[in-house]
Amino acid sequence: MQRALLATLLLAIAGGLLGTWIVLRRLAFFAHAVGTATFPGLVVAGPWGLAAPLAALGSGIGFAALLARLTRRGATSADAATGLLLTGALALGAVLASDVYHSGAGVDRLLFGTLLGLSDGDLRLAGAVAVTAVAATAGLSRTWLATGFDPAGARALGVRAQRGDWILLALLAAAVVAMLPAVGALLVSTLLVVPAATARLVTGSLGALLAAAVALAAVEGVGGLLLAYHLDLPPGPAIALAGGGGYALAALASWPRPNRVRAAAS
Amino acid sequence: MSTPPPALQVRGLWASYGTGAPALRNVTFAAEAGQAVAVLGPNGGGKTTLFRALLGELGSVSGTVTCDRTPAYVPQTERSRLDFPVSALDVALMGAYARTPWYRRIAATDRELARGALARVGLGDRASTSFGVLSGGQRQRVLVARALVQDARLLLLDEPFAGVDRASEEAIMGILDELRGEGRVLLVATHDVEQARRWDRVLCLRGEQIAYGPPAATLTTDVLEATYGAEIVVLEGGERAVAVQHHAH
Repeated sequence: MQRALLATLLLAIAGGLLGTWIVLRRLAFFAHAVGTATFPGLVVAGPWGLAAPLAALGSGIGFAALLARLTRRGATSADAATGLLLTGALALGAVLASDVYHSGAGVDRLLFGTLLGLSDGDLRLAGAVAVTAVAATAGLSRTWLATGFDPAGARALGVRAQRGDWILLALLAAAVVAMLPAVGALLVSTLLVVPAATARLVTGSLGALLAAAVALAAVEGVGGLLLAYHLDLPPGPAIALAGGGGYALAALASWPRPNRVRAAAS
Repeated sequence: MSTPPPALQVRGLWASYGTGAPALRNVTFAAEAGQAVAVLGPNGGGKTTLFRALLGELGSVSGTVTCDRTPAYVPQTERSRLDFPVSALDVALMGAYARTPWYRRIAATDRELARGALARVGLGDRASTSFGVLSGGQRQRVLVARALVQDARLLLLDEPFAGVDRASEEAIMGILDELRGEGRVLLVATHDVEQARRWDRVLCLRGEQIAYGPPAATLTTDVLEATYGAEIVVLEGGERAVAVQHHAH
């Protein structure tokens, strides 16, 4: 349990910071799909003797490459292609798990995370992603802000927009892989999207948004873990429930208009 | 006594996106310090391509462009995200990003400069207001303030008066006149012929350069027909010509 708490707090730092940029850049559905796309990789990692993070990363990169291929000619929109590939990855993982490798009860762990069995490697990866997320936010906030705010004008401001975008996507992939053991392939959004989306309702400035997203991810993560421990649930769904409750409270607190608009208008 | 070189000189410019056919062909013009040039043409005529080529954003460009510093670009306000957590001051401060190393905070002098730029466009009291809740005209003025912070000698303005209220239009016109007075060169993209007549020079584009020169001599019916094709309506016995634009929304 202590390991799970430590991992959750480290992942909350990465999830809150990167999640802020994911929400601002409208990459939430993409982030969810990357998480789901790692499922087939996780299923085959054991039988094939691969390290789970590497198999997950390979699966996620395969998803991104297919997405780029499907949307290249513009016949399929990015969100439709993302939905298509997400469904395909889930189906492929389910078939591999049930009919090929007979993964049994292990599938729940891959999809929804586990409190038990977080390895030293899992903790180290969570720590590395947290440190990298802090460093990248400190160094690249201006690049990400200018690029997201005004893509057409960013380069004329001297911002290296494309390099910043590649780094953001690489960090997103690393954060997804780091979150898999704790919350599972289906629920990475609980730490990577939900806290930042909730914080957006009640904050008006970037600094407040980043801080509130990290704090919410930590509170919801720890609250979800305690819920999971006492009710014997997998941690992913328990943290997701805590996140949903947090969002509902923030939505009520900022009703009828989100604070960011109200504060700005006064 | 030799005359100084023009502040902006473009010779034989061809530009294309990727490996496709050129989106803009054979553009040659020069502007003196303090001149404002209207870049006139239909949608898809090459105004944006010219700007992107001058900003060095297109890989496939031939010809020569001479100007003494990186230009500043003032985009249309509709292109910017209104739901971003940025204040008017935050947006103006973006003008200082290029000279701020990634590991440094934005310098106090640049913060003063940004506040001064907002005051200059008449928004000194709205510095902490969220960009998204400002009116379209006020947002356009904030984007002009951002270019002021960049302190470029050449400013590229993309339809700066589109969807702008009267007060903001006058404020923007006033500031653009001041910038000309300081010797800066302005390129103002527009599809509005009447607006193009206000500036010192007009550059007509329709995939290629149709004409360049002072508006009175350049904006003839022939040139306008070549620029806009059949979309031209001539009013008042041929003295005024209005371009009819069909916008796809």
